[in-house]
Amino acid sequence: MSLTLTVDGARWRAHLLATATRSPGLVPVAKGNGYGLSLGRLARRAQWLADHVAETGAPLDLLAVGTYDELGEVTPRYDGDVLVMTPWRPFGAALDLDDRTAARVVHTVSRPDDLAALRERHPSARFVLEQLTSMRRHGMTRRELEAAAQALGTARSGLRGVALHLPLGTTSHLGEVSRLVNDVVASGLPTRTVYVSHLTHAEMGTLSSRYPDFTIRPRIGTDLWLGDRGALRVTATVLDVHPVERGDVFGYRGRSAPKSGHIVVVSGGTAHGIGLEAPTGDQSLRARAATLARGGMDAAGFVRSPFSIDGKQRLFAEPPHMQASMLFLPSGARTPRIGEQVDVRVRFTATDVDRVVVD
Amino acid sequence: MTTRLTLRPISAQEHRDFIAGQSSASFLQTPAWASVKAEWRSESVGWHDGDTLVGVGLVLYRQLPKVKRYLAYLPEGPVIDWADDDLAAWLAPLVSHLKANGAFAVRMGPPVVTRRWSAEQVKAGIADPAVRRLGDVPPLERCQQGARVVAQLHELGWQQQGTEGGFAAGQPQFNFQVPLVGDDGAPRTEADVLAGMNQLWRRNIKKADKSGVEVRRGGPEDLEAFHALYAHTAERDHFTPRPLSYFRTMVDALGAEDPDRIQLWLARHEGDLVAATIAIRVGTHAWYSYGASSTEKREVRGSNAVQWAMIRHALAAGAAVYDLRGITETLDADDPHVGLIQFKVGTGGQAVEHAGEWDLPLNRAIYKAFQLYLARRG
Repeated sequence: MSLTLTVDGARWRAHLLATATRSPGLVPVAKGNGYGLSLGRLARRAQWLADHVAETGAPLDLLAVGTYDELGEVTPRYDGDVLVMTPWRPFGAALDLDDRTAARVVHTVSRPDDLAALRERHPSARFVLEQLTSMRRHGMTRRELEAAAQALGTARSGLRGVALHLPLGTTSHLGEVSRLVNDVVASGLPTRTVYVSHLTHAEMGTLSSRYPDFTIRPRIGTDLWLGDRGALRVTATVLDVHPVERGDVFGYRGRSAPKSGHIVVVSGGTAHGIGLEAPTGDQSLRARAATLARGGMDAAGFVRSPFSIDGKQRLFAEPPHMQASMLFLPSGARTPRIGEQVDVRVRFTATDVDRVVVD
Repeated sequence: MTTRLTLRPISAQEHRDFIAGQSSASFLQTPAWASVKAEWRSESVGWHDGDTLVGVGLVLYRQLPKVKRYLAYLPEGPVIDWADDDLAAWLAPLVSHLKANGAFAVRMGPPVVTRRWSAEQVKAGIADPAVRRLGDVPPLERCQQGARVVAQLHELGWQQQGTEGGFAAGQPQFNFQVPLVGDDGAPRTEADVLAGMNQLWRRNIKKADKSGVEVRRGGPEDLEAFHALYAHTAERDHFTPRPLSYFRTMVDALGAEDPDRIQLWLARHEGDLVAATIAIRVGTHAWYSYGASSTEKREVRGSNAVQWAMIRHALAAGAAVYDLRGITETLDADDPHVGLIQFKVGTGGQAVEHAGEWDLPLNRAIYKAFQLYLARRG
């Protein structure tokens, strides 16, 4: 029995089409665990979006993946070009590409030395230059971009644009993006295409009107694939139910029940990513206070689980196992049937489901 | 590299001589401009590479009420090598000198172009209801050098001053210019410049000529007549006129530097003054600075005639640019400023965006108080 992601297919596809329609120049992002949906499925769906250009009015010529190792999952299922967002380095998987795949790849280059090395190995390589943003992860400074512009010269090159990776959670990205775009002009690079992510729809609109001579291409992952949460439901199966009295011993660790109720065994454990602490991205005081409160419950032997029965989140009876979890259901609550599906709240990017069912 | 330049005060004569050797500089950076802005303390400063003078600046010191601290202002300046990718080497000695002289902040307006639009693009923008601002129109060119200056100023901690809506408090960021040389740098002919104008302008110039409008250069004795017409224009167009004494000082001070530095132009029809203007030229840059026109006899098109005379004079003097100065960024057909843009666009030139005015706060607390003071003054 498995952890299952059920997708309301009609609703999901409608959301994908709507997102593509209002995001001209869209570059879908398919990386990692495929946002819980799997890379292969996203690649097929990207191809489907490309095939629906008549409906969206938004040609889709580029799909972004995170790493070179992910290329194998997407290239057989998607016909267009593939942008690899991890910067090219003169080592590792980037050097193992077969010729057919290499011809479809757009590399990301983040160091002047790498630009020279890539062009030496593959004179016809296509690439975007990554700019250093306030995130300070990878990327070139203005002067490095200028050096790159000089190295490229005016001759026809593989330059496809510049890429920015902006940090999350700042009030507005517009000031930073304006400065970065100005740096592109200052560098003299012969391109007017900029790839960005994490901009709101309103910010994209402002940028496009402020830079009418630029093509601003949004890279979108979460908001595309997971943007309509109502279309996605993750469920676990109730595998077993055991009544317990206060003091009864159960589980791997021989814990005892704090009061009478039921031990409910459900599918889904650490192998799926259940019960692992992943940062939620929510850094508000309230969220941190909630984390502290949960820590307190942990000490007392009560930890809130992501499983909910009849709309109420239930406590783990003990830490999750590899493929199953034990929940504690106090007496008075309805006891679920074996085989019943219960809802699980997961972080899609950190969870591997056993099955994806698209209705 | 950063230590190669030094800065010290220089005499007005050294300042003047340096500018005379430049192809162009803003007239707001000439030592004569200091006399026009007599209510501000001023200073000429010079950058030296060893013993060689390599750049100059006119600094106007504006005192903050009640405090002996100053805003050091270099309008449309300084006159330095803005193409240098090491602007820190130029600005650091300037800033430390001004700080030692009691400045709480430095304000300057780098005379570099960041974007250009053709007259056709501006015209199409006004006609397009979806376009509200000049920036909504794809520019003819984004200038790499201007962008490099902007990038460096950001890196060096300077803050760009806003130009929300109409004209900014300082010098206009958007100007309208007619190039008087071709792309190859060769001078354009009168016929070529005329052909670049729109039909209405050409027709009006012809019409003025036919109706017997006579345009001639005036002397200081004509300043009073200019001012009377200018005050009339101010009343009609609802702006506050400057006093006659301001123009007297300006003509005397700028005129002392070079006989062609400042020119008074008068257009008469059957003895009546129908338009009068002031033009300024520094090197290859010619400006239309102030204009006035009568409400009577508009049909004889004195304004077009006097502009054409100024353009021809600039051409003859070997100028590369005829600058009609500020326009607002708005291209909204309903905006009252759009009429002025349309008049200037008729000359067939280019809308030009400059890097704008930039501040470097040296004392944050006083700078903040100064900004509050400006905001309250409105």
